[in-house]
Amino acid sequence: MKIQLETKGNVAVVTVCSEAIDASNAKEFKEGMIPLLEKHSQVVFDMSHLRFVDSTGLGALLSCLRELHKSNGDLRLFGMTKQVRVLFEVVNMHKVFEIFNTVEEAVASFENQ
Amino acid sequence: MKGIILAAGRGTRVKPLTYEIPKPMLPIINQPVMELLVRHLARHGVSEVVVNTSYRAPDIENYFRDGSRFGLHMAYSFEGQLKEDELIDEPLGSAGALKRIQEHSGFFNETFVVVCGDAIIDIDLQALLDFHHQKKSIATIALAAVPLEDVSSYGIVVLDQQSRVLSFQEKPLPHESKSNTANTGIYIFEPEVLEHIPSGSVYDIGGQLFPQLVAQNAPIYGAEIPFQWLDIGQVTDYYQVILKALRGEINGWQMPGIEIAERIWTGCNVRLDLETCTVVPPVYIGGSATLEPGCTVIGPSYIGPGCRIASEAHVEQSVVFDYTRVGSNVNITQKLLCGKYCVDADGTTLDLRALDVDWAISDARSQDKPLDDLRKELITALKEMKPR
Repeated sequence: MKIQLETKGNVAVVTVCSEAIDASNAKEFKEGMIPLLEKHSQVVFDMSHLRFVDSTGLGALLSCLRELHKSNGDLRLFGMTKQVRVLFEVVNMHKVFEIFNTVEEAVASFENQ
Repeated sequence: MKGIILAAGRGTRVKPLTYEIPKPMLPIINQPVMELLVRHLARHGVSEVVVNTSYRAPDIENYFRDGSRFGLHMAYSFEGQLKEDELIDEPLGSAGALKRIQEHSGFFNETFVVVCGDAIIDIDLQALLDFHHQKKSIATIALAAVPLEDVSSYGIVVLDQQSRVLSFQEKPLPHESKSNTANTGIYIFEPEVLEHIPSGSVYDIGGQLFPQLVAQNAPIYGAEIPFQWLDIGQVTDYYQVILKALRGEINGWQMPGIEIAERIWTGCNVRLDLETCTVVPPVYIGGSATLEPGCTVIGPSYIGPGCRIASEAHVEQSVVFDYTRVGSNVNITQKLLCGKYCVDADGTTLDLRALDVDWAISDARSQDKPLDDLRKELITALKEMKPR
């Protein structure tokens, strides 16, 4: 799984180049994220490639969020596809994560803190 | 009068609802959409109806049987074959269906009515018949005015000053549309129309028979008689129809059940305490359902029989099919929950089984599975995480 990192000021913009985070690749995703989360505390996550996130994928995203909360950081999401957005709403994840439409809005939300 | 109900379609545009239910059997609270239609036909003097069936035919045939329960005679014209103990659907198209019935027994020996089995209508059939006879029409189409911006969803009919059909436009763009009167799929036919349908082939009324009749200069008319026409073309239409039923906006519709508080209806044997649950009308809750203390149901919402809504679950402006368990902390807002699927009001569909979210939504009859570490973690995290 390819995870791309780009920094905008203090904010790390992370893109997962995969259509899914699910039982088949969630472990790989978490392992790939560990070094990023150690270095950065303000992270925004590009969800625009993701068409499918199952329970395991939700768990992986939540564990990233909790990891960042430990260092007073945060994980914010943007570019969510409609499919993933509906799932987030159903299980109330949209209240747990801050979700934005664009990368600019997501990055700016840290700058405006 | 005699009639035919067209009920053979696969309901492709209404998937996933039609994976397990043929479109005419989709429930409007407590009765299939086609039952509303059958009862309307019976009230308007239709005494014999043949239903052409194909996709999931037994679901329709076993429900309506000989029609005596509904005050008319019903029979079926099955389009398909039994192969290795499995019924294979081979629909003949709307016009092909008529031809097959006619060739079987000469059933249509007088002026007859044709209706689609998946719409709710309250049309005055006598008025339509009077119009048909007055015009000396051989085929009369009941028309409905639709907003110009919506014409691309309909078959549009263009009339002259005397209401005679000049031409048809199939789903035109608004700026290309020559009229805003849509074909509702309700027709009055003379038997001679059937002579124009080829034998033993798939043939459509709107797409083939009518254009052919117009080309031959046959007297076809369009009747603009106002009536309520609720067409279930897409999943979102179905969702809207249920909300209309709950709001009391379907003409002649009587909400079933027991009204336990103002516009809160339930079937019997429902476990619900209005002191501990938040229920905002209009809401219908089917028999033997359970609403656990602390849950919220905001109307218009329909909770099917045997459902279980867990404490702290939130259901709002939603339709929840029979035997669905909505777990704690789950938020169903403007959704349709049917079996393994969750459909958003805009049509976005989630396959709940593929998403592996049985900890959130499942079949109320399935045994609660012991929670594995992942599920425990998710439920705990969602409970503990402070909502923003």
